[in-house]
Amino acid sequence: MNHLALGLTVLLIGVSAADAADFKQPLENVITGYIRPATAAFAESAADLPDAVSAVCAESDDARIEAFKDVFSDAVRDFSRIQFLRFGPLLDNDRLSRLSFRPDPRGRAQRQIRKLYASKDTSVLSAQSLAQKSVAVQSLTALELIAFDKDTDVVLGRSGENTDYTCGYALAIAGNVAQIAEATATGWANPDGYSRQLLSAGPENARYRTATEAIEVVYNALATGVTIAKDQDLIPALGKSEDKAKPRRFPFSRSGNSVVYLTGELDGIHDALVSMDLKPLMSPADQWTLDTLGFEFKNAGNYLAALETPLRKSFANTGNYNRVTALSITLSSIQELMVDGVAGALGLAGGFNALDGD
Amino acid sequence: MGLTAISRRGFLTALGGWAAAPAFSGSTLAASLLEKTAGDDARLFASAYKLADGSFGIGLLDDYGQVLARITLPGRGHGIAVSPDRRRFVAFARRPGTFALLVRPFEDREPLVLVAEPGRHFYGHGCYSADGRLLYAVENDFEAVRGVVGVYDVSGELVRRIGEFPTHGIGPHDIALSADGTMLVIANGGIETHPDRAREKLNLETMQPSVVFVDAESGDLVVRHQLDGSLHQLSLRHMALDQKGRAWVGGQYEGAASDAPPLVAVFTQDDVPKLTEIPAHLAGKLENYIGSVAANSTGDVIATSAPRGGHTLFWNAVSGDFLGAQSIPDGCGVAPADQGSFLISDGNGGVSYVLEPGASSEVLSRPPGFAWDNHLVAIS
Repeated sequence: MNHLALGLTVLLIGVSAADAADFKQPLENVITGYIRPATAAFAESAADLPDAVSAVCAESDDARIEAFKDVFSDAVRDFSRIQFLRFGPLLDNDRLSRLSFRPDPRGRAQRQIRKLYASKDTSVLSAQSLAQKSVAVQSLTALELIAFDKDTDVVLGRSGENTDYTCGYALAIAGNVAQIAEATATGWANPDGYSRQLLSAGPENARYRTATEAIEVVYNALATGVTIAKDQDLIPALGKSEDKAKPRRFPFSRSGNSVVYLTGELDGIHDALVSMDLKPLMSPADQWTLDTLGFEFKNAGNYLAALETPLRKSFANTGNYNRVTALSITLSSIQELMVDGVAGALGLAGGFNALDGD
Repeated sequence: MGLTAISRRGFLTALGGWAAAPAFSGSTLAASLLEKTAGDDARLFASAYKLADGSFGIGLLDDYGQVLARITLPGRGHGIAVSPDRRRFVAFARRPGTFALLVRPFEDREPLVLVAEPGRHFYGHGCYSADGRLLYAVENDFEAVRGVVGVYDVSGELVRRIGEFPTHGIGPHDIALSADGTMLVIANGGIETHPDRAREKLNLETMQPSVVFVDAESGDLVVRHQLDGSLHQLSLRHMALDQKGRAWVGGQYEGAASDAPPLVAVFTQDDVPKLTEIPAHLAGKLENYIGSVAANSTGDVIATSAPRGGHTLFWNAVSGDFLGAQSIPDGCGVAPADQGSFLISDGNGGVSYVLEPGASSEVLSRPPGFAWDNHLVAIS
């Protein structure tokens, strides 16, 4: 009986200690070790977009086309590394929706853009007035739709009846994306902004009463990022079978950046997770879950690295279908490890609808 | 009972000085979409949500899963009762909340506020009478430990509570009106709670859930069904009526986690309840919790979501056969969409389209920062 009581006390101390103090450290780690550098990197690559658009629109020679492709690709890569941070500055002023309108399985952005072209709507020709338009026509996904054709070739700057309109609209998007990226990075860099809210959990904090609540928001965003990668970015493209695959449904496939995007989002989630340094908070018996996660993320990266690109041109008869199928299975086990393994071991609550009684 | 006019002032008092009044606001996407869809028969849906900043509200969505408008709430919402003419709805606070909002989304008018009577709180669900003049809300008479249906006159400019009748059970949760408008079907979850003890369950050993059929006009009990005594810890909570008027009820099991009881049962006025059989490969994966039940537009397919298990199960309403399952993490809200299909909303902001129970679902949208709450309803 005494032993039992003693064991219970130790257990209670363990739980309350983890709750009160320890979760603040991984929050600091992820802010300084991942979120700030990643949002700054995206701001930097997005800032190059307007000049790249202007250059290819002034003269669309091969060098400028390649340069535009590189700049766009870098922006997609750096965006993929932050889009799963669905809390704080990236959500202010609808920033995330205005950076990327996804998923869009029924082609709503395309239809809205066609309407703009039909009426030659001039309100999309400045970043300022574009920011007031429907989110579907403001973002990197919109820029991809107007700057590339369905064969992944750059059409921006190519002479035709809409050249000037497309260039004006593309420049407005580029400026808008650069502004949003800059505002996101600034929001995270500000020590008195959202970072402070995340790090100062307590009775005085209107949003986070405990550090556990704060880390749940961050951690669950990473787990949701994996769900999005699998359910939104892979499964729709895989279709029911190889002959029914729809590689155009991969994110940023029109510009040939699907593998760039998928790699960035998974590496980003993994890097963010590693930056938190959760191992010291876990019992030795549970620490294997983090090691296994690392192994599975590496597997995922290997599948991606083996894909022939661009995906929309190379999906048939290349083994790509099987690799992506294997990747989606790997993501399932990553989901399981993150939710049942790591979150379970740390005592973090998962789903919003998982509470009973309702 | 006195006729109480319910005002915003009373609402704010009840909330202890909550600063902001419920506000109706459109989204950046909405302006263009509302223009675009004006005139055509676009379908609309509504669900309670939580935002990443910790605030709560009700979102109006189109059939692409895009948020057209939202209404702020002072606390977490739950179920939504839609008027028969589909022009109004009432959004209830999650239990043990004491507020509800009557919203007229197609009119330029502020929401009306309902506040629970002293000694009562809402359980999160309600339904309209057939003529749309009355609202029935399930409530907790917590001192007497009994469920009641509060009856509200919603035909005028002010909402008035005009009476109540017992649900003949403890912890009523979902409520539905029969197709002919004469009968109320109420799922008494059986779990005793008290607002002073948060969401603590006070009677798990002795709980007696039931499904009752009550005369909608008189409030008289017509019949009370219970499952076999071995299932007395299966709290009967969420419900949908199929094309034949049978009530499909999803439960939450309060017994041992290692048990794998049936979780979905079918009730009619005259027959003994029938239990459905969850396929073996899913039985251990649902964590014994069904979060929502909905019928498709033709009433021949029933969807039951299990958010903890991350699966939504589909049933043939005629034969009772299991049709298939979709894996959607934290998927809970289910509503009928076009062509017999369903929309499923989840706690990670996703809105998925399910055309065929066996085929893959498709994520239509995932508005950033939104966590969709338990229930999604079709407004129009």
